[in-house]
Amino acid sequence: MNRIQSLVLSLVSASWLAGALPAAEVKVIANNSVGATAVSREELKGVFLETKNSLSDGSAVEPVLLKSGATHEAFLKEYVGRMDAALQNYYRSLVFTGKGSMPKALAGDAEMVAYVAKTKGAIGYVSAGTAAPGVKTLEVR
Amino acid sequence: MRTVGIIKATCACLCLLTGRASCQTDFEMGGKQFQVHGFASQGFAYSNQNNFLSMKTSDGSFALTDGGVNISSRLTPRFRVGAQVYMRNVGNIGNWRPTLDWAYGDYRFNDWIGIRAGRVKTAMGLYNDTQDAEFVHTYALLPQAVYSLDLREATIAHNGVDAYGSIPLRGAGTLAYTVYTGKRQDSIHGGYPYLLRGLATIDLDSYGGVQWGGDLKWMTPLSGFLVGASHMNASTTGKGIGPTRPGNRTEYGPYKETSNKDQTSQFSAQYTVGALRIDAEYRRYWRDQDIYNGQANSTTDARGWYTAGAYRISKRFEAGSYFSRFVLKSRGSPSTKPGDFPINDKVITLRTDVTKYWNVKVEGHFIRGNGGGSPYPTGFYRVDNPAGLFNDTNMLLIRTGWNF
Repeated sequence: MNRIQSLVLSLVSASWLAGALPAAEVKVIANNSVGATAVSREELKGVFLETKNSLSDGSAVEPVLLKSGATHEAFLKEYVGRMDAALQNYYRSLVFTGKGSMPKALAGDAEMVAYVAKTKGAIGYVSAGTAAPGVKTLEVR
Repeated sequence: MRTVGIIKATCACLCLLTGRASCQTDFEMGGKQFQVHGFASQGFAYSNQNNFLSMKTSDGSFALTDGGVNISSRLTPRFRVGAQVYMRNVGNIGNWRPTLDWAYGDYRFNDWIGIRAGRVKTAMGLYNDTQDAEFVHTYALLPQAVYSLDLREATIAHNGVDAYGSIPLRGAGTLAYTVYTGKRQDSIHGGYPYLLRGLATIDLDSYGGVQWGGDLKWMTPLSGFLVGASHMNASTTGKGIGPTRPGNRTEYGPYKETSNKDQTSQFSAQYTVGALRIDAEYRRYWRDQDIYNGQANSTTDARGWYTAGAYRISKRFEAGSYFSRFVLKSRGSPSTKPGDFPINDKVITLRTDVTKYWNVKVEGHFIRGNGGGSPYPTGFYRVDNPAGLFNDTNMLLIRTGWNF
């Protein structure tokens, strides 16, 4: 492997690994109207990429994002497989072709819990240590 | 309630103009949530020689402007509606005429099948439906061998119905499909009517017809690796005023051209890992048509491909490069000679995201070949280059875009 290839691979790895919490530090939460207590990784990815609008139990769902931060980065890395800039571009491509909506984006954990608690079908995520009254925590299989 | 909506939509438009980062574009009306989004872009192109894409690029041209605004709502968990208006001015193409870009209802029965009906953006390859949204792309100009700016109308949308869905393949990834049928109606301010006016003094007042096809995208089990294939058939008719016979420039009357065969096939691959994205696509367009009211026949065999790589250096910067090759294989027409007309374009781009909603791109194009004299638009028009075309064109392109 020549030096240029090594440099490119190093840059890719460094940028991808930097600044993210371990997945165990993220908790997936849902509005109590969602019937499921667990979701598969594929289901969760599909919900956040808007290729799915319901879970296997038939519950209609809509994704909710955090605007930024370590929890947001960790969730995207672990469950969506896209960096924030790429995900935002993906959502814009849906919005400007009419094939999807821009998900609600919230500033922090407390705001996320409050919004998910009051919004039917909402699915979001918070850091694992966040108290989440009024919502259910989904197990990710 | 209605007044509140109008005020918020106006605020959104102001955000578009100012590039503000805190635009609030959601509002509620009749108990339903609505989203308003918009975008605008402005470019400057300067080439050392040859005028490109109907702009006077050899003098430096700002005639590269477009924008759009849309409104949409999820009326029920499974039913969405929306519409977008779009306009552009690219040199002598577009001419600021607003068009209904898309407007449809979308009902999703389940993950496997949904229906869209109305005016629908056509799914074809990686970027056909998003080609106007420069802010989702690394490049100021998408590879012109496949996504030619002047021929946008040929593939961009249809008035009809789509069925689409996503099928999990049990450990073998996911297959996303779209099949569609409808009617295409090209703008008479597009590249093809512009070419005919300059090349053969034919003035089209309509061009379009039935269109049907499909698009498949396989998200493979290898994370970030996607492959796709698309095919589109069309039956097109162009009508207007033109010479009554091929080569005649003195007698004019009703003009008609009709396709016997009009097909586009496209193959795509994309690999994304971390901050790196690699794309490759190939498109072939084949048309056999009767022209001059059936007095002559013309074929078009246009083949284009590109490979592109882009790397997100940081939150603010992205760098990219592509090589694009277009070859028009022509048997000739009453106005042109037969032959191959290749164009190679080597491109390097730096994209800066000044804010989340505002970007600036600086791009260099090193183009070899001009397709000059071909009976199909290649970006280099005779009418814009009356002194003749040079083989090589180097072009600096700066483009900035806002969206909310």
